[in-house]
Amino acid sequence: MITVNGIRNAFWCAIAFGIVACASTPMPVEKLAVAKSSIERAEQAQAAQFAQVELNAARNKYAAAQAAVDKKDAQVAARLADQADVDAQLAESTARAKQQEQLVTEMDASLRDLRNEALRRDNSGTAMPQTPAPLPRQQPVPQQP
Amino acid sequence: MNFKNVKYRLVAAAVASTLLGLSACETTPDSSALLEQARSAVTQAESDPNVTKYAPTELDRARKLLVNAEGAAKEKGAKDQTASHYAYLTTQMAHIATQRAHEQVAIARIKSGETERQKILLTAREAEAGHAIAQARAAQAEAQDARSQAAQAQAESQRLAAQLENMQASQTPRGIVLTLDDVLFDTGKAQLKPGAQRSLDQIAAFLNENPERHVQVEGFTDSQGANEYNLELSQSRADAVAMAIIQRGIDAQRVRALGYGEEFPVASNSNAGSRQLNRRVEIIVSKDEAAIPGRATGVP
Repeated sequence: MITVNGIRNAFWCAIAFGIVACASTPMPVEKLAVAKSSIERAEQAQAAQFAQVELNAARNKYAAAQAAVDKKDAQVAARLADQADVDAQLAESTARAKQQEQLVTEMDASLRDLRNEALRRDNSGTAMPQTPAPLPRQQPVPQQP
Repeated sequence: MNFKNVKYRLVAAAVASTLLGLSACETTPDSSALLEQARSAVTQAESDPNVTKYAPTELDRARKLLVNAEGAAKEKGAKDQTASHYAYLTTQMAHIATQRAHEQVAIARIKSGETERQKILLTAREAEAGHAIAQARAAQAEAQDARSQAAQAQAESQRLAAQLENMQASQTPRGIVLTLDDVLFDTGKAQLKPGAQRSLDQIAAFLNENPERHVQVEGFTDSQGANEYNLELSQSRADAVAMAIIQRGIDAQRVRALGYGEEFPVASNSNAGSRQLNRRVEIIVSKDEAAIPGRATGVP
């Protein structure tokens, strides 16, 4: 029953199946792009300074994801890209939180000085300076889209 | 033999390294530990009210990822990579939610700090304004005080003027000037007639009442006769008036007598009437304890 033709048919079938299989797991180009833009946002939020560990993890996983793409390993690439994405998001949110918390610390100190100054001037009856010590302003951290 | 042995060893090493590589693949971390980590991260995030308030979206994502992780572990077993992958994503997402919440809490605190700063500044400005108002009031009170003092001084001088009303007194920049007529002296004499008594009594009483004041008595003649004689006569008459004041109990230190002769006429000397006006004794009462300004030469 097994003819040469049958074997040939099976061969082509296998080839076709392989192609279809390949086509059904395309390279996660979109996931990589998402991860890349997350990393860029983290960098803009000064994650290199405030969340170095998280940012490095994201960069390393992104590089590994690209390597997996080169090896045509779509599944590994997709997972690594997803992980790079959350790592970058964590880097960004950590950096933002740390910066705002730093501003809070500065503001508390500034308010303490201002209160003392006001108290001192109230006691001595002299006027407050026209330009009081400025509070730290919120830095223009790029917002999430 | 030796050659064969080396070949053998190479094969063994290759097999070993392959096995090692396989075993490395085999020992992918058990997802149960990662799952446990993910669960506790989500629980921790959920228990933070700031997370539920400020990062509900991220918390929701973490919960869904945890469901995926649990599902994958159930379906494909603890060894499966999918469960580990989702567990990792879950943990990270829970941490992201926590950090977002931290950021928002800090931003809220900065906002309230700004309000607080404005409040402090406002209070300080109000206190300042209060000081300014108090100062203005003090200045006003001071001005009021000065005004009332001026009014008092004016009333006082009016009272004095009234006191000296009967003495033909007049207010001048040098003080209150009282003129005694020529008729109070005999011609060429420095002897004061009794007619002057009343005026002198009043002046003495006034000086007693105002111990800070003092008087200067100035004598004048008309232009008739020798200058020296006139000077001497005017001095003698001034002395006589001064003596009369001192005799009424006024300290001699407060009384000064000067003779000017025919200087500083108040009339022309061209006829008897005007000459009589020039023959006079003026008593100048000081405004206060300060010296009486001298006469400006040439001014009548």
